[in-house]
Amino acid sequence: MQNEIIRVMLADDDEDDRLFFTEAFQEIKIKTTVTTLNNGIELMNYLNKEDAVLPHVLFLDLNMPGKTGLDCLREIKSIDRLKNIAIAIYSTSASDEDIEDTFVEGANVYIKKPHEFSTLKNVLSDVITLNWQYHTSGLNRDNFLLSI
Amino acid sequence: MVHAAAILLYISPKNIIFRQMKLYLKFDINAVCRKVLQEQLESLNLNYSILGFGEVEINNDPNSETIKALYQQLNEYGVSVVESHKSVLVQKIKDAIVEMVYSDEKLSNAKTSAYLADKIGQSYGYISNLFSDVTYTSIANFIILQKVERAKQLILTNELTITEIAWKLNYSSVAHFSNQFKSATGLTPSAFQRIIDKRKNAHLNKRA
Amino acid sequence: MNINSIFNKSILLKCIFAGSLFILIFISTFLYKHSQSLVDTSKLLVHSHRVNLELEQLNSFLKDAEINQTSYFVSRDTVFLTAFNDSRKRVSESISTLQVLTQDNLKQQNNLDSLIRLIKIRYNILFENSINLNDSVQVSGKRFNQSLLEGKQVMQAIRNQINDMIQLENIYLLERQERYEHETFLTPMYSLLLLLFSLVVFVFSYYKINKDFESLKKSNHILKIATESMRHAEEIGGFSSWQWDLGSNTLTFSDNQYRLLGLEPNAFAPSIQSFAEFVHPEDKHILLNGENLALHEHTSSVAFFRVIRKDGNIRYLKSMGKILTDAAGNKILIGINNDITEEYLISKALEDRNKELEKSNKELASFNHVASHDLQEPLRKIQTFISRINEKEIHTLSEQGKDYLQRIQVSAKRMRVLIDDLLLFSRTNKVEKIFELTSLDHLLEQAMQELTQQIEETRAEISSDQLPIVEVIPFQIQQLFINLIANSLKYCKPGVTPVIAIKSTIVDSAEYSNLIKEKNRKYYKISLTDNGLGFEKQYEEAIFTLFYRLHNNSDYPGTGIGLAICKKIVENHEGYINAESEPGIGTTFSIFLPVK
Repeated sequence: MQNEIIRVMLADDDEDDRLFFTEAFQEIKIKTTVTTLNNGIELMNYLNKEDAVLPHVLFLDLNMPGKTGLDCLREIKSIDRLKNIAIAIYSTSASDEDIEDTFVEGANVYIKKPHEFSTLKNVLSDVITLNWQYHTSGLNRDNFLLSI
Repeated sequence: MVHAAAILLYISPKNIIFRQMKLYLKFDINAVCRKVLQEQLESLNLNYSILGFGEVEINNDPNSETIKALYQQLNEYGVSVVESHKSVLVQKIKDAIVEMVYSDEKLSNAKTSAYLADKIGQSYGYISNLFSDVTYTSIANFIILQKVERAKQLILTNELTITEIAWKLNYSSVAHFSNQFKSATGLTPSAFQRIIDKRKNAHLNKRA
Repeated sequence: MNINSIFNKSILLKCIFAGSLFILIFISTFLYKHSQSLVDTSKLLVHSHRVNLELEQLNSFLKDAEINQTSYFVSRDTVFLTAFNDSRKRVSESISTLQVLTQDNLKQQNNLDSLIRLIKIRYNILFENSINLNDSVQVSGKRFNQSLLEGKQVMQAIRNQINDMIQLENIYLLERQERYEHETFLTPMYSLLLLLFSLVVFVFSYYKINKDFESLKKSNHILKIATESMRHAEEIGGFSSWQWDLGSNTLTFSDNQYRLLGLEPNAFAPSIQSFAEFVHPEDKHILLNGENLALHEHTSSVAFFRVIRKDGNIRYLKSMGKILTDAAGNKILIGINNDITEEYLISKALEDRNKELEKSNKELASFNHVASHDLQEPLRKIQTFISRINEKEIHTLSEQGKDYLQRIQVSAKRMRVLIDDLLLFSRTNKVEKIFELTSLDHLLEQAMQELTQQIEETRAEISSDQLPIVEVIPFQIQQLFINLIANSLKYCKPGVTPVIAIKSTIVDSAEYSNLIKEKNRKYYKISLTDNGLGFEKQYEEAIFTLFYRLHNNSDYPGTGIGLAICKKIVENHEGYINAESEPGIGTTFSIFLPVK
């Protein structure tokens, strides 16, 4: 883990949330590169490019104008080339039913956006670490489910 | 040492319409990796001997070009050459833990440290520090992770109840198991099962 | 009732009639035959008497002949000879008569033949004697005595024979006498039987006819009254009755039908076509449909259609019919037309109002949801930025600044908790939620799983009866259990291990009439009893109010939404919830879910 730089991507239309996200990763000890995109369409355009460098973990906000996070999730899961990216839904609180539904759609992680910065750092760190375990220990990616 | 992973494989032979075959496979990683290694090493005309899992001694003195080619070819199989001694040890620790978690023998939780120390041949203090440095997680966490993973696999097979799984994984009570499962994944075991079932159904519907 | 109806059936009556007739004829025939046989018997009796008589006569004639012969022998007077011949003639006549009389009896005939032979022998002897007599020569005394003796013997034999015949005839006589007596005895008996039976049949027939007549009179009377009251009822109730004979396709209305159409009774000849002229053009197909169904499939149903009166007034009619089969086997559709114009208009107004309310509710619910959801975003950012300041910029603030920031943080937290709970409350609705048959045990288990941490921290002991399987919204009932158990854990007595007992039973709505508005329904009652702080009786209903709290926020944090959510969930399931408590002892929450 110390050798490889983990590629992290966020699609969120909210400027403040993007700010929190990037600052959090700056303060986490894990080596990462962070890319942020402003909405679903930008995201899919990026991912669908032939030579796109795919992230290890994609953080996806649900409430985006136009193409919602759920639309993106479904689309990604239907494309062979993209369906193995670990996807963390990054959203404001939802009901347990809605959370379960996103898992059923294929999300690996559901993050309720925390109300405190330190919590955000811990959460992001846990997600990256856990994902890395799946990546390196031959665990079944399909069973990677985490609700924070 | 045998890694066993169960993978769901959907095969739809083209000459049979409306039929799907589901195969549960067990991989002898050992044998697979060995075969890959052999093929790769032989394709580069290297004289080698396989010392054990993950250890190969190359007898000729290959030039850097050949080594680079070897690394590249092995990479395509997801086989990476581990550089440092530390990483090797960490890998060994991981393997030992996995073996412990997946064996059907019941080891009391107190004895894990002694077991690991014994298996690796170093003191437990040294092992745990090394592990945390390299992986950023503690051994205890890794054990929990593996146990939870195994629990997930058992839940997937649909053959055991939650209670039976808790017992099989050496938890003192179902509550304890649920608790640990929930703190590790954020979901209760039954919620997990529900989601996996719904996923399967959705997948079948898509295919149908 | 069944026996009576069978009894009343004409077929049975016909059977009884046929049976009685048959029996009567049978008895009469029997009696007739009996009379015949009686006549025959008496004839036979007379016959035997005659035979006996004849035989006695023969005997006497033979004796006469004998005497005359003897007299002639003694006197040689030809008078006696003539008399003798006379007697002989009489004897032969008698024999002829006897021959005729004994024609029916073989035995007697044989006897008679023997007798005739004997008589012949006797006469032969006489003949011999007569030859001797024609001689004037003196007959040898010895020969004469010998022939007299012979004669006497034959005579004896004859007498015996005649006696035998008489005896035999007597036997017959006796037999026939007996039979005669027997039959004369029976004849009056049979006659009496016939008489009695005929009497019974007559009485029964009279009784039956009378009864039927009475009941007919009664039915007629009742019918008259019914028709009259029906007529009044129709006018009052605004409905009419009609009969449609499917066989002959004739339609009859009651008088009120004309009034319903805005006309005077009997304003037109009733038929399907004439009625259809009043039906609203858009609804004519409904009438046709009903007509077809009734004619071809012989079923009936309820139909709603409009009629337009001559004055343009539109009335809404509800037509209901039922197929009846009359005594003759004809199918008749009997029905009523009910003028439901008032009710229809009212219910339509109600429906419209409902739609409005639903729409407004939906708007409110979505407003609620969106507001809570959209309020969360800025609040979250406020809190996160506060935490950023706390981490990075806190040292640049004065003490007062730090204090102010702290208070901002506390308020923001409070606001967040409120919004979270409001969000949960607004999500607890019935719209688009699926009811599934679920095991409540299962939901309880899952609820306890969600609360594992709190349960372990407080070392709570939770026990439960077997809970029923009910059609519910699973997530909501799970939330209900979570809220109630979390409550019990939160408000436990300090230092006392919380103990929660969950019981399940089935109760009748009558037992909780001040809580349950429904009548005659069964409910599952699930009660959660804890040993927590409890509260005073006066608050038992208030605690379910939105935002109502019994404690300070500093003592026990909370928003006062938990129980309001519980109540909403229970109401979504057409159930009820209540609480009973004693301060310092504990609280029992009871949930009532209707048994379907």
